[in-house]
Amino acid sequence: MSATATRPDESSANTLLKRFTAIPLKWRFVGFITLLAIAPFFTNNNYILRILGNVCMFSTLAVALNVVVGYAGLLDLGFVAFFGLGAYLYGLLSSPQLSALINACLGDRASAEFLFIVPGWFSLIVVALVSVGFGLSLGSPSLRLSGDYLAIVTLGFGLIFVQLSNTLDRVEFPGCQQPLNLTGGANGLLNIEPLRFFGFELQTVTHYFYALLIWMGIVLIAVHRLNQSRLGRAWRSMGEDALAAEIMGMPTRRLKLLAFATGSAISGVTGGIFAAWQGSAFPQNFSVDVLINMYAMMVLGGIGNLAGSVLGASVLSIIPELLRSPELIRMIFYVGLGAGLMLVKPRRNGLAVLIGVIVFGLIVKWIVGAAAPDLLSGPTLKVAAESISTAFERFSQQFGIFVQGWILLLKDSTLIGNLAFVVLVPALIALSRLKASRLKLIVTVPVLYLLAFVWESRLTAEPAVTRLLLVGSLLVVMMIFRPHGLLGQRKVEIA
Amino acid sequence: MQDFLAQLPQQIINGLTLGSVYALIALGYSMVYGILQLLNFAHGDVYMVGAYIGFGVLTALLPLIDTGLWPAMVILLMILAAMIGCGLLGVGIEWFAYRPLRNSPRIVPLISALGTSILIQNAVQLTLTAQFRVYKTEKLIALDSGLRLGDLAYISTTRALVILAAIVLMIALTYLVQRTKMGRAMRAVAIDREAAATMGVDVDRIIVFTFFIGSALAGGAGVLTGLVFPRIFHTMGFNAGLKGFTAAVVGGIGNIPGAMLGGMLLGVVEAFTTGFVSPTFKEAITFFVLIVFLLVRPRGLLGSTALQKV
Repeated sequence: MSATATRPDESSANTLLKRFTAIPLKWRFVGFITLLAIAPFFTNNNYILRILGNVCMFSTLAVALNVVVGYAGLLDLGFVAFFGLGAYLYGLLSSPQLSALINACLGDRASAEFLFIVPGWFSLIVVALVSVGFGLSLGSPSLRLSGDYLAIVTLGFGLIFVQLSNTLDRVEFPGCQQPLNLTGGANGLLNIEPLRFFGFELQTVTHYFYALLIWMGIVLIAVHRLNQSRLGRAWRSMGEDALAAEIMGMPTRRLKLLAFATGSAISGVTGGIFAAWQGSAFPQNFSVDVLINMYAMMVLGGIGNLAGSVLGASVLSIIPELLRSPELIRMIFYVGLGAGLMLVKPRRNGLAVLIGVIVFGLIVKWIVGAAAPDLLSGPTLKVAAESISTAFERFSQQFGIFVQGWILLLKDSTLIGNLAFVVLVPALIALSRLKASRLKLIVTVPVLYLLAFVWESRLTAEPAVTRLLLVGSLLVVMMIFRPHGLLGQRKVEIA
Repeated sequence: MQDFLAQLPQQIINGLTLGSVYALIALGYSMVYGILQLLNFAHGDVYMVGAYIGFGVLTALLPLIDTGLWPAMVILLMILAAMIGCGLLGVGIEWFAYRPLRNSPRIVPLISALGTSILIQNAVQLTLTAQFRVYKTEKLIALDSGLRLGDLAYISTTRALVILAAIVLMIALTYLVQRTKMGRAMRAVAIDREAAATMGVDVDRIIVFTFFIGSALAGGAGVLTGLVFPRIFHTMGFNAGLKGFTAAVVGGIGNIPGAMLGGMLLGVVEAFTTGFVSPTFKEAITFFVLIVFLLVRPRGLLGSTALQKV
């Protein structure tokens, strides 16, 4: 009998969190920024830098969303429209589009053709001001509406934005000779000028990465200071209970409008930088999917927690990119599965299940091989010596071969894989509801095997779908087991 | 003006067809909201699954029609299968995604609902691919059969069927809620969950039942949509769910007759926009009307002004 009482594994994660939060906030912030800032010295791979730029951009957006939803408690589902508004406004001003519009409108009445482009820094200022204006005008209904009604109105605003950016490419305008192409429709706005500050033009991905990093730093400091201030305290108390805050004499009207204005200004400017970075703006960049992504980032990190928003944005920007490589995704999946099993309280149970799954797989493979050998296909992975360079890639290749050793590989896996998927979903749900017992351990083995089989036969074949399936289950599972997010504080609801 | 008047009856018929589908979806939203104060964002995807179940039944039974199976029978079976399948799906969703989250802050089940919606959509895409599927309605109902009302309007049999089926379902629902023991319990839980529990109502059972009924209506709506607008696809639930939700809000969320009225109204507004203004700006104008409407009447058409107790 092992008498050494091991502490429950949940607490090890919590001690890690405690140690992390024990570091002064200032140092955590400086450390994180420095870590990102030195990244371009280690790689000049544009793909990686682009992902890091996305991390900065989405962190900024998640922080801005946090001000509106996390602090002020306003469920704003039109948030992504401000991001898009910033991008489109910047694109309209700082590209040949605006002069083309004026030329089209005046037609042959003009004495000369206009050809001018508004400088980027000036456009950003305009974007910030206009975003504040739109934030206030969208915020004003929030004074009358509450909760879900506000959510639907803002969602409607977001959808109207996407639809208008998709359709405003042939607008008949009174007094104009030709129909105006405001947004470029589904083809998007193209040829957007890069940003230029004091004679320095941002051209490469690295430049934009640094621009977004600096912008993120500014926003983080500003929002943190705001949160500590009188205004931030007022926001948070309003978010907790708007009625109580009003009774305590807080100007809730003004507080709500300020929250909307702050959030939309930040996301508008971020959108402007995004447009300059991409050199283009398309309607689908600002669709509801992006909004869901932003909410997932904020929620994953913990609502109302700035570091959490940054963490959530980093995780959800990086993981989908990792999922693009089939070898890497396989490693992550099985290592994650194994690690999950090791978290099962008595370790030997987890180990037993792991071994059980492999043995189960070998038996199934042997039975199918004996009964219907022509259904089986050979391993899809072969040891390729020359083309593979790094040790890691060789290792992941080996790992894949090991996995395929005990998983059923079928020639026509689509249909059976689909059926297995349909069986798997209720099986997983039922498993999650079983109470811990010997029966649960035994049932876990075939269900996990089924999961691995579906993974190999269907999910790796459709990486885009798999990504979204994972995001969806992450949201649900997260809400069930840790609704306060990774870094957030658990809220106690008093009825 | 002449043109407007000539088109008016036809557009009203189009609007009522759309509206009955929206109303059926809105009912599910409204019932769940009335009981749990929860926005079930996965509701639109339940509707989509209903359309697919109907498609599956239709595809399976098509060969039998030539051997003498009544088309009316097929339609009935499609609707029934979709209603039962979706009802069970709704119960599953409640069990999996919402029940563990009772009594948590409002945003928590909302995020879980978003996650469930993503899960259902992608599960369907994974198993059935992202292709369009097309209902072969013409095999069931002859396309040119229909009722011509003079020069004014033309009601195809399909549209008449959709409107009729929706009305039948709504009457059945009203009977269920107003006249049966289960319905009384549902109303009691909606008014005050704790008080109902102390009076001996099994609240969990009522919630499951509500999810079943609401999702079944959405499944029926899915099949009816498929009959009129035959192309179905895995993301169709998003827009429809949004419209259903809008209709529920317009009618006053939590209010059953309100949801029906709101759905019909929304359908007519959308048909008028398509017919008289511009089909391109259909969605934008519909949502604009919604926003203006909510600003004028924040609690919806039939919703009562909720007094907040502290």
